[in-house]
Amino acid sequence: MNLTRFNLNSELLSIILLIFGLLIFATVLFFVWGKIKPQANLTELKTRTKSWWVMSSVFVFAALFNPMISFIAIGFLSFAALRELYSVLNLRESDRRPIFWCYLAVPVQYYLAYVGWYGAFIIFIPVVMFIWIPFMVIIRGEVKGIIQSMAILPSSLMLCVFGISHMAFLLSLPELPGFAAGGRGLLLFVVFITEMNDVFQFTWGKLFGRYKVLPTVSPNKTWEGLIGGILTTTIVGYFLRFLTPLSGMEALLVSFLVAVAGFIGDVVVSAVKRDIGVKDTGSTIPGHGGILDRIDSLATTAPVFFHLVYYLAY
Amino acid sequence: MIRNTFLAFLYSLVMRSFLVLIVGVKYRNREVLKKEKQFIIVANHNSHVDTMALLSALPSSRIRHVHPVAAADYFGSNPIRAFITKLLVNTILIPRSRPVDGEGPDPVQMMFDQLEKGESLILFPEGSRGEPGKLQKFKKGIALLLEKYPHIPFIPVYMSNMGKVLPKGDGVLVPFNSTVIFGEPQLANSCDLESIVAQVEHSVLSLRKDEHGLSKER
Repeated sequence: MNLTRFNLNSELLSIILLIFGLLIFATVLFFVWGKIKPQANLTELKTRTKSWWVMSSVFVFAALFNPMISFIAIGFLSFAALRELYSVLNLRESDRRPIFWCYLAVPVQYYLAYVGWYGAFIIFIPVVMFIWIPFMVIIRGEVKGIIQSMAILPSSLMLCVFGISHMAFLLSLPELPGFAAGGRGLLLFVVFITEMNDVFQFTWGKLFGRYKVLPTVSPNKTWEGLIGGILTTTIVGYFLRFLTPLSGMEALLVSFLVAVAGFIGDVVVSAVKRDIGVKDTGSTIPGHGGILDRIDSLATTAPVFFHLVYYLAY
Repeated sequence: MIRNTFLAFLYSLVMRSFLVLIVGVKYRNREVLKKEKQFIIVANHNSHVDTMALLSALPSSRIRHVHPVAAADYFGSNPIRAFITKLLVNTILIPRSRPVDGEGPDPVQMMFDQLEKGESLILFPEGSRGEPGKLQKFKKGIALLLEKYPHIPFIPVYMSNMGKVLPKGDGVLVPFNSTVIFGEPQLANSCDLESIVAQVEHSVLSLRKDEHGLSKER
């Protein structure tokens, strides 16, 4: 493969090698583990790893190949997550048109990210849509249960579109002198440490978990998993700071806050699912559930990361 | 030949991509369609999307030979509309009821003719699009077909959420994750009309139970 075609520099190359190195490690680990201890039930871990292969390949390819493809791919992720959420929420019949308007907000938001119009990008959902969508709900004239619809629909845009679209806007950030990895480096960084944060919290929890954090919301989350995960993520973020324009101290702080934000996004979606009474929002990704189950933490980490970096370095 | 290529392009490529990527349709057990050469698809009916979803599920070489059965008074209300539904949706348009005094075309005979030619049918035995999530009583037309042609299998299909995507009386299509579940092909196991209707109804309903069973298990 001709690497210059992708405009790869050593920073991007090392994170890609790291991602696929980890996947190979996990695959070999579960294979050998399964051979040594055939009674261990590794099916879910193996299915998850397989899905990780697919997701990482698609993501790395989209992030590197062409910025246009990345915007479309991330935008589609938002759309699919939104659709998944509306499919399990059981909204009223009269909310169909407002829902249609919510879907229309997706291409607009990603277009604003694509052209890099920061002022419009940052207000389109929290200001424009938060005024427009409740109006679209009330002009249907059906007032029974209207408070719920007026609250759910704009919030769904925050969860599935606004936060996630910050991943796309990273690619539109201007170039900084002396910072080679660029927007693609930042994108790979935030996605990588967010997903690793989920994996670390899961692993620490499985190994040492005793005291539950939020038993009524997410019974599998423990203090040991949470603290172990946050610390590991912070350290990993520190060593991967070559993908960002941040100094060592800044990288530690940003990674720590991203790890905390990841936990918050995760439990918020867990709480939504618990209220509706489903385990997963869908079955699109084998072993992981639906799309929303996978990107729940990104909905909070992407904007937190973006605004910290934007404040510190741009 | 040209017509087949056209229908295959329209449904297997354009419509299927649109349904799967944008609308969020998921197919389950679609492989059963490859097992049989001639069949009658029997499905619940909540939306115009139903027909599109079923045609898009067919193996592309078969589309030309599968005809959704539709009401002539609605889809054939004017000649242009009738022409378009026949050309684009490959339908056969039948009157809603049999003629009382032998005058006019007999809908059942029209379906017999198609089966006689070796063609397959898509039937919505509820008669018309019902309320989302509710199954109306099946009409007995399907039983008349299966009684006369006991060697032709029927394929039960249950579709969920289509009534949310595009309900009756609404012109705006709104994407929602929806499922099309195909059951195993079956032959009518009696020659009594009432019990054939009951068999067909039960086979469609049992797919709905499948769907709920799966969502609970997850």
